Amino acid sequence: MENIYLPDPMEVLQVTQETGDVKRVRIRFRDPEKAANFHFNIGQFGIYSVFGVGESVFNICCSNSHQHEYIEFCFRKVGRVTERMWDVEPGDTIGFRGPYGNSYPMQDWEGKDIVFIAGGIAMPPIRCAIQYCLENREKYGKISIVYGARTVGDLVCRNELDEWAKYPDVDVLKTVDVAPTDGVAWDGRVDFVPTVLKDSKVSGDNAIALVVGPPIMIKLSLPILAENGIKDENIFTSLENRMKCGLGKCGRCNCGSVYVCKEGPVFTQADLKKMPDDF
Amino acid sequence: MSQIITLEQLKHTLKEKLASGARVVAPVLDGDMATFKPITNVEKASFEPRACMQNSIKEFFFPKHETLFSFVRQGNDVLLTDAADFDVEQIVVGARPCDAAALPILDPLFAWDYQDRFYQERRAKTTVVTFACNKSDAHCFCSAVGGAPDNTSGSDAILFDLGDGSFEVRAVTDKGTALFAGKTSESDKTGAACEPPKADFDVNSIAAWIRENFSSPLWEKVSLRCVGCGACAFVCPTCHCFDMVDEGSYNKGKRVRNWDSCQEAMFTLHASGHNPRGTQGKRQRQRLAHKFVIYPDKFKSFLCTGCGSCSRSCGQMFGVRPCLEALDKQGVKAQQ
Amino acid sequence: METELRNAIRKLLEEKTVDVAIGYGRVGVGGAVGAVFVTSPDEVDQLVWNNECRQNLAVHLTRPEIKALGKIAIVVKACDARAVVVLANESQIKREEIVVVGVVCEGVVKARFDGSNGEQFFEKCASCVEHAPKNVDVLIGDEAKAAELDAKNAPTAATSGNQAKLAKLRAMTSEERFQYWRGEFSRCVRCYACRQSCPLCYCNRCVADKNRPTRIETSASMKGVFAWNLLRAFHLAGRCVSCGSCAAACPAGIELDLLNLTLVNAAKEHFNYVAGEPGVPPLIGTYSLDDEEDFIR
Repeated sequence: MENIYLPDPMEVLQVTQETGDVKRVRIRFRDPEKAANFHFNIGQFGIYSVFGVGESVFNICCSNSHQHEYIEFCFRKVGRVTERMWDVEPGDTIGFRGPYGNSYPMQDWEGKDIVFIAGGIAMPPIRCAIQYCLENREKYGKISIVYGARTVGDLVCRNELDEWAKYPDVDVLKTVDVAPTDGVAWDGRVDFVPTVLKDSKVSGDNAIALVVGPPIMIKLSLPILAENGIKDENIFTSLENRMKCGLGKCGRCNCGSVYVCKEGPVFTQADLKKMPDDF
Repeated sequence: MSQIITLEQLKHTLKEKLASGARVVAPVLDGDMATFKPITNVEKASFEPRACMQNSIKEFFFPKHETLFSFVRQGNDVLLTDAADFDVEQIVVGARPCDAAALPILDPLFAWDYQDRFYQERRAKTTVVTFACNKSDAHCFCSAVGGAPDNTSGSDAILFDLGDGSFEVRAVTDKGTALFAGKTSESDKTGAACEPPKADFDVNSIAAWIRENFSSPLWEKVSLRCVGCGACAFVCPTCHCFDMVDEGSYNKGKRVRNWDSCQEAMFTLHASGHNPRGTQGKRQRQRLAHKFVIYPDKFKSFLCTGCGSCSRSCGQMFGVRPCLEALDKQGVKAQQ
Repeated sequence: METELRNAIRKLLEEKTVDVAIGYGRVGVGGAVGAVFVTSPDEVDQLVWNNECRQNLAVHLTRPEIKALGKIAIVVKACDARAVVVLANESQIKREEIVVVGVVCEGVVKARFDGSNGEQFFEKCASCVEHAPKNVDVLIGDEAKAAELDAKNAPTAATSGNQAKLAKLRAMTSEERFQYWRGEFSRCVRCYACRQSCPLCYCNRCVADKNRPTRIETSASMKGVFAWNLLRAFHLAGRCVSCGSCAAACPAGIELDLLNLTLVNAAKEHFNYVAGEPGVPPLIGTYSLDDEEDFIR
């Protein structure tokens, strides 16, 4: 019988330092057969190992158009595993289990206007969906991307923001909480995400919002989305509960009767309202 | 007519199994403490029904510590070696009905979309022989959660102590039939279990209260004396939460899984410092909700067999029964 | 004594000297005695005092859930009172903010393995020479009786109870002793009941929970259980007051207090140090020119 806890060895292809403490890593299966058969849906997550140190959970942060060649994830240097992961270089091996969890309903979103809202390190779980929408630009309506971080240096995927803005009918609203002082060029806003969100042109009961970020940002963004007429069942988010197995066994990630690893990480605001406040 | 086996015949059956290379697990006494252990000498084991065991038979299906795989770094690559299969026959003798009953409760969890090979291999290779209870104590409440002193759920065979050095054998499954085939003799004696233990609370009403009272201050109040260790979870036949950690060095080591408990503060502590269950009340709420709301929602049964091991083991005299009674008195009945 | 205790606590609550009194009550299955947290004078009848009052309630003094209840009064036996002193010496509590209600203790009985009350007293009680708690704010019970009991135990204190059990272990060869502990520790499940019930295991993040780097393996493997139980004993060297909470709480019935007693004896023998004396600096962490150093070679 197969061992569900056994990761696949992955070759590190590329490491990009995004901020002072965030890196993006591109990996591929060492086993070509596994690579050829691998498939994931947008919004799913993986569990990544530094062997001898442990496992950590991150979203797959790229679209699935290159899923047989590589996948990407972002991490922040904050704990035991990520401190060691900081040192990985191209050619190294890390472990991967997945993909796990549910995904964003990209097909259901076709033909609709979408606003993506992210704060700080929460850009990666949204980036996969943005990439997918832009690769399939004709399938989606108006797109608005609202992204903020504390400082310019904390913006993840900063260069990609400008690339995304070049697509037709894509509005990128970038903002920082604290204005750069030391001569750092900044052509975005200096404001909090919820304030900037007011200028998004995506609204109405046919519009979709995907919002991931610190709880306070989400809390203050929700009333604005409501004002813009976006319904709770159209507001999506991706939860980050502490997990170990990712397989619905270890008993750690549940919110009430919902196992975030299997029934999440993607939930709508309507779903969350039914769940106890246990995250 | 019933089938009976003498104690000598039972021991002989186990000796044969040991000789054939099987692993036999049975209660071993140390003073008044009975512990399930793998035995090599059947004379060291104690074959009498008892309400209190130091450990659950759970650990012979889901051990407190096991290796999932090992690894060795070779240049840039990492060579992974899967854990060995569990390929020995295992006989567990002397289980309490409430202990065996946990197995069918846990089966769907370990088979939920992803098949947990480690649990399932042991489950497939193990025969569980239960002793029907001939006494219960104040901690027992199997009857409140659908069990009984002669419950056969999870047992392959159940033995009733006839008090004359023999047992009535009732095979429950093919595995149980096979184990005792040719070992029993016909008799007109039949065994009986003790009376079901009493509980004056209704678990369904308490479960309904738990569902509606996530934010009740009662959680903190009833949990004040809980000091947050994992004893209740680790003696529990149904608690199955685990941790996965790497051991060894960066170059060579293994990934293992260890029992874990939702009562410990570290359980849900994020690397960022955030802890969604930062107080003992919230952790106790999780434990009770998992047993009486979450698990029934997902897998159609309570995650509790009413065995009472938690309250017998608790140094602070807490556990599921005292907690249910407190919620019943101060929550359910206070509302009525 | 029970009435006297209830009256004393009632007064403290009525006069609002404290917001909560931590005492013993019949809270467990079949009326088993455990901690109760009395916040109103009307509730003091919940309080009991008898030889089943096993737990060391001082464990609750550093818990955030309890501190949130306000100013605390606590019921202690003599061994528990020593733990309160260590907590104050180690700056974990402000002694003047807590009202310590001491009760003369004639010994407490062990729970049987099945959780019921036994008749056998804890081994620590057989060698107890401090039946009346010291350094308390209120003392309940007969001090003369306590002194009498102290005098009765004094001649055999060094050779009875746990000391006798330990002496048996010390008489073994190191291989026999290793096999003994191997057998005992094989039942350890790393539930940390020992740590959580110990008033002096108050670390915010125990070394066993530290993972940057991992100091000791978290597994209940033989390596892991030896590492854990020995490390805990060492961390209590010069601090353990021999209250026996760890052993009483252990669901696997491991006599952890014997490990601690080894170090209690070492502290006494080498440094003439007894934990739990007010104002005495901690043994480990205090350097004196007179310290023995003949072990340095």
